[in-house]
Amino acid sequence: MTQPPTPPKDDLIVLERHTPQASVANDTLVIGGAIAAAVFGVAFAVSLITGFGIGVYGFFLALAFFSLALSTRRYFFDRFPDIEAAELRDAPIESPDRPISAVAPLGRRPLLTRVLIACAGVFGISLLALVPSLGPQVGNRLRRTPWAQGVRLVTTENTELRPDDVTVGGVVTAWPHGSIGFERAAVLVMRLSSPPEAPTIMDWVIGDSLVAYSKICTHAGCPVALFRERDDSLFCPCHQSTFDVARGCVPTFGPATRALPQLPLGTDDDGFLIATGDFEEPPGPSAG
Amino acid sequence: MTPLFSALFDALDSRMHLKGPTRATANKVFPANWSFLLGEVATIAFGVLIATGIFLTLFYRASTDPTVYGGTNEFFDGATVPAAFESIIRLSDDVPGGLFVRRVHRAASHLFIATIVMHMLRIIMTGAFRKPRELNYHLGIGLLTLALVEGFLGYSLPYDSLAGTGIRVAYSIVLSIPYIGENVAFWIFGGEFPTGAIIPRFHALHVFVLPLVLTGLIALHVLILVRQKHTQMPKPDIDGHTYIVGKPLWPSQFAESTTLFLWVGGLLALAATLIPWSDVELLGPYVSGEVGNNAQPDWFLFWTDGLLRALPPFEFRILGATINTVFVAGAVIPGLMFGLLFAYPFIERRVYGLTGDWHVLTNPLDIPLRAAMVMGTFSFVLLASANATNDILSRMLGIPIENLVFGFRLSMVVLPPLLAGLIYASSKRRLKAAGARVATNEEEAQSRFQPSELTSS
Repeated sequence: MTQPPTPPKDDLIVLERHTPQASVANDTLVIGGAIAAAVFGVAFAVSLITGFGIGVYGFFLALAFFSLALSTRRYFFDRFPDIEAAELRDAPIESPDRPISAVAPLGRRPLLTRVLIACAGVFGISLLALVPSLGPQVGNRLRRTPWAQGVRLVTTENTELRPDDVTVGGVVTAWPHGSIGFERAAVLVMRLSSPPEAPTIMDWVIGDSLVAYSKICTHAGCPVALFRERDDSLFCPCHQSTFDVARGCVPTFGPATRALPQLPLGTDDDGFLIATGDFEEPPGPSAG
Repeated sequence: MTPLFSALFDALDSRMHLKGPTRATANKVFPANWSFLLGEVATIAFGVLIATGIFLTLFYRASTDPTVYGGTNEFFDGATVPAAFESIIRLSDDVPGGLFVRRVHRAASHLFIATIVMHMLRIIMTGAFRKPRELNYHLGIGLLTLALVEGFLGYSLPYDSLAGTGIRVAYSIVLSIPYIGENVAFWIFGGEFPTGAIIPRFHALHVFVLPLVLTGLIALHVLILVRQKHTQMPKPDIDGHTYIVGKPLWPSQFAESTTLFLWVGGLLALAATLIPWSDVELLGPYVSGEVGNNAQPDWFLFWTDGLLRALPPFEFRILGATINTVFVAGAVIPGLMFGLLFAYPFIERRVYGLTGDWHVLTNPLDIPLRAAMVMGTFSFVLLASANATNDILSRMLGIPIENLVFGFRLSMVVLPPLLAGLIYASSKRRLKAAGARVATNEEEAQSRFQPSELTSS
């Protein structure tokens, strides 16, 4: 039987060829690695099923992988010559004028092509009508919070708060009654060691020392969770914005631009802390 | 081939005529250089992510509904936590091997993104993006973007304290887009943060939509690579413009890739054994209005968080839109960085008047603009990334956070242009000393280090 002529594309242009020496050492590594992989694999399975810890079965699995890697490497090393070869890059196509399809279009009105493509485009864009269904209407939602005249302040555990519940240096996270977890309404009630100064709105301060401010940073919306007692400031753990609680929570450092909005604070006839209205400035980061 | 394999292959060949294409494929030549394996490691990591991800998604509950956990984790036994977080604790503590698979998944995700970034650096620095490979370069940038998004989604799914905070910051960045921010934020997150829609949506995107798109684009990336063939490291006596030199796919590259897969598998298993990187139950579940200390994203988004921390406060209204510091740090600057990455192949071709096809890689110092671009952008990204740890650095070094942030702001503005300028000047001097300008075509570039008879053809 005669060999058919192989096309040149199929042929490997061999530049260098090294034939490895058969060696006992190599065979030992192949066999040893393969057996180790099997043993460690079984050890992994047994230790996992019998309830050993992650440090045991994980380690066995890693060892199994490494042993198999070693064995595979040495197996191929011994079994094939090491070849350095060259391959010809694609030459540019010879006849660029040849049309890509054998069926040539008839020379009809080109306007129809454009009309068809334009109308298909309009149809495609119409499908975007589904996008607004992905979320509710924004409307006024981001301008308001559940805070309103007479809404009581409650803790995360839903206990109503009296002014005396917050001691000097104390910080309590509070929510509008009935809206615990409504993130943008979260406030911090704090009792300062000395009376606050401007631009604090003094009408909203109880007993010259109890204030409530939005807990949501005006920068990127993280909770301003850390109260630093030494200078009465609130510190945001995300981007380090710092707010001066004694002076209307104006930003003193970091990327926040606006002050934390002050909650109009009051007490009702039963002595519980209430809001006397919603925030005047929207809390949280500003929208574009 | 062993008799069993050859009998099987003959049977398939007689039905599908595979011998010709198989031989051509087996003879495909791969360049033998370690840096060409970075993309391969990324692909291996992606395979591990798919395999472990299938296991994980069988246990994960995509919901934030309050759920009572009862199981072997003593700390959370009887506690009411979001369902997603509950399923994570259950998988970690009550399913044998569950924690291990979660850790491997997390380790593989770090490896996936890290090797994509290193692969991209190799492509950019050696000039593998030049004509005719621009399209594949752009596909690669798209893959990096999707991988970053996929990483962020995966970081969010356990709904631990850090995850919820990360989602909040992402929501705030979307909110800051002029004119349309509020609407887009409501479309993406299904309403005002924190909605019950976020976790189910993130889950669908993370386990279905993005893996599908990533798989398709990776396949396309590799198909284009095979079609265009690899680039070639410059070698004396080899005309890399006409030939590609290396090891054939069978058996050399096959052995290399199989071994690489096994090594990576072993390293991931070892990493998962030793490093508790996904043990989010230590952080606790996300609770609206609460955040822990050291609030940070994963390392691959450090640079965006560092930008958010570094930019000074400002907010102004223009043409009815509000432009604030979050928009500039979270959207404009990252957009410009990716825009620069995208445009760079065209910039270099235009600036140096490059012509023709390029297959031989270059030392970045031979092209001053490229050296400056890489040095400028990557020093900026590294400084911004370091700034994302400024609170921890401040505590460790005892430097007040105010001084540290001032130092970072200053160095982020001064250092990248300075370093870029320095390397630009020194590469220019290097070229001048060699008595050369930037080569405008590959023949000219090759003639610098090749004996003349090779390039005359």
